[in-house]
Order: sequence, then C-alpha cells, then structure tokens
Amino acid sequence: MDRLVSKVGKNRNLVLVLAISLLGFVGLLDIFVVDKVFAPIVYFYIAFGIVLLLYGVYPLYNNRRLTRYYLDRTKRNRLAIFGLAFILFLILLAVIGPFFTLDPTAVSFEEKNLPPLGFTIEQSVYDAEAGKLVTVSVPGTIRHLLGTDNKGRDMLAMLVSGARVSLQVGLLATLIALILGTIIGVISAYLGGWADNILMRFTDIMMTFPFFLLLVFIIFIFGPNLAIIVLVIGLTGWTGAARLIRSEALSLRSREFVLASKGLGASGSRLIFAHLIPNVISLVIVIATLSIPGVILAEAALSFIGLGDPTVPSWGTVLKAGQQTLDTAWWVAVEPGLMLFLTVLAFNFLGDGLRDAFDPKSGL
Amino acid sequence: MGKTWLRNYIIKRLIYAVIIALGIMTVTFILIRVGPSSPADKYLSNLAATGQDVSQVVAAIEARYGLDKPIYQQYFDYIINLIQGDWGWSFSTSMPVMELIKTHWIYSFQLIFLSTIFAAVLGILIGIYSAVKQYTKTDYIATFFSFIGISIPNFWLGVMLILVFSVKLGLFKTYYDTTLPLLSLANLKALVLPVITLGTGMLAGYTRYTRSAVLDNLRKEFVRTARAKGLPERTVIGKHVFRNALLPIITIIMFDLGSIVFGGAYLTEIVFGIPGLGQISFNAIFANDYPVVVAVTIIGTLIVLMINLVTDITYTYLDPRIRYD
Amino acid sequence: MDITLLKVTNLRTYFFTRRGVVKAVDGVSFELKRGECLCLVGESGCGKTVTALSLLRLIDSPPGRIVAGEVRYDRLDLITCTQEELRRVRGKEIAMIFQDSQSALNPVFTIGDQVIEQIKLHLGSEEREARRQAISLMTEVGMPDAERAMDYYPHHLSGGMKQRVMIAMSLSCDPKVLIADEPTTAVDVTIKAQIMDIFRILKEKRQMSLIFITHDLSVVAEIGDRAIVMYAGKPCETGTVTEILKHPRHPYTIGLINCLPDASVTTTRLTSIPGTPPDLIGLPPGCLFQPRCPQAMPICAGKEPQESVVSEGHTVRCHLY
Repeated sequence: MDRLVSKVGKNRNLVLVLAISLLGFVGLLDIFVVDKVFAPIVYFYIAFGIVLLLYGVYPLYNNRRLTRYYLDRTKRNRLAIFGLAFILFLILLAVIGPFFTLDPTAVSFEEKNLPPLGFTIEQSVYDAEAGKLVTVSVPGTIRHLLGTDNKGRDMLAMLVSGARVSLQVGLLATLIALILGTIIGVISAYLGGWADNILMRFTDIMMTFPFFLLLVFIIFIFGPNLAIIVLVIGLTGWTGAARLIRSEALSLRSREFVLASKGLGASGSRLIFAHLIPNVISLVIVIATLSIPGVILAEAALSFIGLGDPTVPSWGTVLKAGQQTLDTAWWVAVEPGLMLFLTVLAFNFLGDGLRDAFDPKSGL
Repeated sequence: MGKTWLRNYIIKRLIYAVIIALGIMTVTFILIRVGPSSPADKYLSNLAATGQDVSQVVAAIEARYGLDKPIYQQYFDYIINLIQGDWGWSFSTSMPVMELIKTHWIYSFQLIFLSTIFAAVLGILIGIYSAVKQYTKTDYIATFFSFIGISIPNFWLGVMLILVFSVKLGLFKTYYDTTLPLLSLANLKALVLPVITLGTGMLAGYTRYTRSAVLDNLRKEFVRTARAKGLPERTVIGKHVFRNALLPIITIIMFDLGSIVFGGAYLTEIVFGIPGLGQISFNAIFANDYPVVVAVTIIGTLIVLMINLVTDITYTYLDPRIRYD
Repeated sequence: MDITLLKVTNLRTYFFTRRGVVKAVDGVSFELKRGECLCLVGESGCGKTVTALSLLRLIDSPPGRIVAGEVRYDRLDLITCTQEELRRVRGKEIAMIFQDSQSALNPVFTIGDQVIEQIKLHLGSEEREARRQAISLMTEVGMPDAERAMDYYPHHLSGGMKQRVMIAMSLSCDPKVLIADEPTTAVDVTIKAQIMDIFRILKEKRQMSLIFITHDLSVVAEIGDRAIVMYAGKPCETGTVTEILKHPRHPYTIGLINCLPDASVTTTRLTSIPGTPPDLIGLPPGCLFQPRCPQAMPICAGKEPQESVVSEGHTVRCHLY
C-alpha cells in the first residue's frame, strides 16, 4: 500500500494527466453515447478532487510531522473547531440533504405561511360559514419543520437548496479568484520590472472599484445567471489575494534560503515550485478560508436585491421574499439570514484559527 | 524637513490617480461594449414598451452615442463626455444623470458619514480598552462580539432591526423624507436603524484593527522606556502607543471605506429606502436605465480613488519615518 | 558618602509560560551605596536584565511576575508600593537606560519632545525652560549641534547618538541611581570609549550611583566598584571588582576571566567555557553550573551550594568553599 502511494506520489504529474484524460473520455461518452448521467459540474468536482488529492493531500500525508504540528495548533482554538464542525455539517446538508427534504419549489396555497414547529401565529382566514374574516391561531407542523413561505414552499427544503448554492458558489468563485490572484501575484513577483509594474497598475485599477458596485454593474450588463455570477465574483475578487501573494513571494525571493538555493544552482522553475509555492500555500489556505464568506455574502446580496439567478432558490432570494412578509411570516426573513450568518461566522472562525496556526509569532 | 519633497510626492500621486481614473473609465467602457446588448437596446425595449415612437429616438441615440462611429472614436467620446460632466440621460426619471446624482449623493454621504463616526469612535475606544486589558473577560467578550459583527450580513441585520424595532415594537417607523431638511429630527430618527446596520460591521472591524494595532505596539521597547520615565499609564497608552497605532488604524479605516463600506451602504439604502445613490442605482437596474447604473458605478469608484489618494498623502505626512530629507 | 541608597533582598522574578515556569531571577540580593557602581555580570540570559527591570517593576505582567523579594529605596519597597509612588521614583530618583536604543525611542516623536516630556513631568518646568535644559543636557553628553538635533527623529540618528539621547533623557531629572543595561554592547569600539567616558564623569561629578549590566569584563574593570556575577538567575559570586578580578573563586568567574584575550600573550586559540547555559524551565537540582564546571564534584549535582564568605565583602556560592 505504502509503495503504491509513494509511486503515485512521485509521478504526480503523469497520474494527473492520465486521470484527466480518463475523465474527459467518460465525459465524452456521457455526452454522445449515454444519456446525460452527470451534470457537467460533477466532472469539475471530480477533477478538482483529484487535483486536491494529488497536490494537496499527498504532500500533507508525506510531511506528517508538519501537518500534525499545524493541526495541533489549530485544534487549540475552540472557535475554529466549532467553525469547522459547522462547515462540515453544512457540506453534509448540501450533499445529501436534497434527498431527504421536500421539493423546494412545490407551491401549496393551503399550507402557506406556516410557522416553524413550536411556534404559532395568528392569521386572518376567511371563514365561509361565518361569512367574514376570523383570526385563527395556526401552529407549526412536523411536515414543515421550519415553516413555509407565503407560497407554501417548505422552508427547510429551500434552506438546504440554498446551502448547496452558497457552498458551490463559495467554492468555485473563490477557486477562480484565488487561482487568478496567485498566478498574477507570483508572476508579478517573479518577473519584476515592467511586467510587475503593469500588472500592479492593473490590480490597482481593479482594486479601486468597490467590489459590490462592480458586481452589480457587471451582472446588470451580462444578466443574472448562476454561472455568470460565479464567474464574475471570481474575476473581480482576486485583487486582494494577488497583492498579498505578490508581497509574500517578493519577501521570499530575497530571503536567505532562496538565495542559498540559487547559489547552489537551482533553476527558475524549480525555485518557483519547490520553494516559493510551498511557502505561499499556507497563506493561500488562509486567504481562501477568509474569502469564501465574502463570496457567499456577495452572492446572497445579489440575490437579495434581485440580481440573483431566479431559477435557483438561494438564501438571498428567500430573504428577499421574507422582507415583504415581516409581519405575517417573520421566520421567512429570520431563517435564511441566520444560516448566512452562521456560515460566515464559521468560516471566519476557521480562517482566523488557521491564520494563527500558521503564524509562528502568534503565541500558540 | 523638505516641504518640497511632500509637494513633489503629492504631484506624483495626483498624476497617478488621474491615470487610474482613466483606467477606471476605460474598464467600464470595455465592459459595456463587451456586454450582450448595446446601450441602446435596453433603452429601446423600454421605449417600445411604453408605446413611444421608436425610430426617431433610435436616430437620436445613434447620433448621441455615436454607435455608427468606429470604436476608438466612441471610446474617445465616452471619456471626453465623462470628464466634461455629461453622463447621459436617465430614461426612467427623465433628467440628466448628473442632475440625478447631484440631488441624491448627499443622502448617501449622510448615511456613510454618520455610520463612520459611530463606528470609528466606538471602535477605537473599545479596541484600545480591549488591547490594554488583554486576556481579561472584557477582552474576550469584545473580541467575540467583533467576530459576530463582521460576520453578520448587513442586509439581514437591517431586516432584523426592522422586524424587531419597527414591526414588533413599533418604534422607528418613520421613513426618510426628502422634503424635510437633512438634519431634521424626523430624518435623523429615520437614520438610527440604518446607521446601526451599516455601522455595526464597520464597528466590529475597527475594534479588531485597533486592538491588533495597539497590541503590536504595546510589545515595543519604547513603551518600556516611557514607563521607566515615570509617565502615568494613561499617557503611555494615550500618547505613545496611540500615536504609533494611529497610522495603521487610519489607513485601514480609509481602505475599508473603499472596498466594503460602499457595498454595505448600497444594501442599507435599499433595505431602508434611503434615497441615496445606491437606491437610485437599484431603481435604475430594474427600469433598465443604463446610464444611471454606469454613472453610479463610476462615481463610486472615483470617490474611492480620491479617498485612497487622500489617505496615501496623509499617511506619508504623518509618518516621520517615510520622509526623505 | 557611605549611605545605602538601594537595598535589594532575595529578589525572585518568574515567568509563567505555557511550557513551564522560567525562574529568570532566583534570589538576588545586594546593596547600593551612593556614588558606587555595581556591575551585574554574566552571559546572555543569566537574568541580569530581568533583575534590573524588576527593580523598577517594569516586568511585563503576564507572563512575568515578581514572586518574592524586597527593593528598598528611601522609605519605599518598590515591589509593593502603589503605582503613584512608583511613578514618582521612576525617571526621577531611579532612571534606566536600555540596551537597544533604536527601539527604545519612540519613532514618531522628535527626540526633543521625548527629552522635554520627562523634564516637564517630574520638574514641572515650562516648555521654554524645559527646552533649554534639554539642549544643555544633550550638549553635556556630547551631542553635536544639540539645538538642531532637538527636531530630529530617532531614525535620523546613529547608534551612538541615540545612546547619548537615552543618557540625556535619563539624566534630565537628576536621579540618584542610574541603571544602564548593556549601554556599550550595541555600539562600536570608538563610541564605546566615549560613552564610558560619559559614565565615568557622571560618577565622579554627580556622585551618581550606577547599576551597570554587562557581559563585558573590561567595562567592569573600568568603571565598577562592586560586582555580582550571575548564572542562570542566581548570583554565584559577589564582591569588589578588584577582589573578583584578582582573586576569582567561583569556577564560572574564573572561566569568564579566562575568556578575555590577553594581548600580551600569543596563543592560537581563545578559551571559552564549554557547553551552553541551561534552559530555565525545569531546572535540575544542585548547582546549575555543574554540567559545565571543570571542578565539579559529586555533591554539586545533588545539592545547591549555599553562600559562604570568602573574605571581606566577598561571597561565593560554590561547594568548593
């Protein structure tokens, strides 16, 4: 077993190419021969998972001592652990939840405006017998654990669906932003000179745009479509990461061990891959964890003001609906926001904990 | 202490800012052109919907926007127009965009200004206190609350405040009334919840930055020297530490202003119906009123640019270590 | 002439860290007379700086704490007195100069501001008077063009000049005791000579009592009257400088003296004391110097040596005596 793992590990690049080709082959089969079994996004996740395994998990596994060291330091932060636990719970919810919940788009007028289980609400209902509006006390039901909105859609189902959206957008958009940011940051730092200058001026320009205003502007032009939203968030949110990574890479460049390595004759690409990137990785992880909440909030905010994808029930759209019915169905506004809040909080806790764990000066 | 050096630096930064401004306008132009529909299409679809005669308007728009001209000419005209202050015509409100901006910017400014003061004063005070009393219960509570403050989605906070205070408790039911003066009691009351909404996130952030900046400086040697001189603790913190911590705090406050606050203000205006630039942009989006959306984006960005410029110069002026003599 | 200004009894300062308790200073006692210069000598990390900081209660309180001891000055015990009383002593009666003058000065205020601040605080002078005093002080310590220098910021000055500013600051309120923490370590040899001159003049002209912290025996020889040799937080030998340098008893002291290169003898190798100072967490029983001691005996590893008097005013903690 160990021999197999180390063999795979040493030939990572080859394995990656093989795996991607295999995946591509299966994908082509899927499109042309069999009926679409997997949504295109699933292929992406599989590919991403493979890359993560080969280039993320394997090095961690190899440097077990180092990994354990960082894990220990992170574990000391109880808030970070809570954050991680919540995120894992959310992922679980998003992946298997939809198999257990009701259909989030099922409209049912008889069951509209039901409160969550354990609450009751006064509603005005037309009583045909009495011939007028009477106030009735309506309790929550087990069937709709978290209540329903004003069209009778089940809240729990919508929240689970929203979790899916938020996590996917969070992951994908952050990935795009981070990749773009890392590339620009590292290239800028490594090339220096006029390339660095131009890239940084461009970064300056993009950074000056208030993030949300730019988002709204571009979505307005290109239309509110989930794929576009993910792409746009990714393509506008890379500036912070680029700056941070560039400065880290620059400081690494002139640090002694790089100079020593150069003195020993290491070539450019070896310097980049063997020295610069591993040291930047911990920074990248922290940036990633702390960027995801911003991305999730951005998508939610867009949905909230109505620029979200109308076909996808996201937390933001539910919140928007909830704002209209504050007096009759307060839970519709409270629940999605609460989920957003807890999710952002969890990522912030985790990100902060990771940052302290990686920072040698943090007194852990 | 060469004052000429400062002047040269300011000039350099101003030129740079102009370049960035041009870059900003260029980026918006590119985005508009790359978009799926031309600026005219959305106009026209609206016009057609209202039953107006389209052909004449089409001609007028083409003439105005020069859609028949080559792209570099369009770009040139675009930039010139922006610089001269001709920012287009708002279809949905039937007035020049510049006019719209001139009448509404003050409300955004009021909201942002009040929120910043609220957040900065409270944030810095709590941050200093938290840093000085590190590891005590107060510190942990303050840190915990600041985590909550930066995590809470500000549009949700707004809705929740409305739910609790307006719907359930019946307070603060007034809406912002533009017919009343800016500083009228009714309007200020209407601003209480919005300022809390926008300010909470900022407050939490400022508390964290201040705490971290003060902590960094508390560890430094000169603090020990100050104490050894026999200075009372409040002077050690209030003068020596604070003055050193002030620089990064101010920088981050101003940087935040550009990256986060404008987005937050946008949402807050929409939640509470405050007639600022965010609100008119929002209205314009759903009326397909192109020029307004473009204009608000550009002006928001230019303001950020100005703030960055001012921050940069102020920082350089305040930090003696950067000066060259 | 023979007034005891400062009496320190059994000072213990520990640092409570996550990894354990660091006994940085473990039982230091001495007396300081007027006009006398006491040197605290030892390797880095032996506790001399912490001792000095403890005198004025300048220890960072988590994680450090002065757990025992008494520092008698005038009628006060500086360890237990109130903040207000302590404040009045700091800077005015007992002043301190720190090792790293670069970071000891506040980078955002001019050096003029920093000197004047102290004058105004303790002497209640007006701005103009305080400024005049500051300028004269800086001239006294050898600052060239003191008037213009007042408006300089710390980063404009060289190491030697910054050191002079620190000295000027500490002298500004005419203290009776001056604690100097390795004032010559961070400067080069020529500056070192000038600074030692300043201290010598202070001692002679102003009758100032000095506590000099150093690892440099040549400095001790030049200016010290009495010395305490410290190792791992404990004092191992105390006595007059002449006595200690001529008749050192403790093996550590002997080792330190042997380390000094003797220009009159040609050798190929410099002597050093083998081994490294111990980690101050989890100290073993017995004499702490035992692992490196060339004259160690079996009893040294088991039992801590007590203080014994070797001759007039000369005490040692060693099982040899």
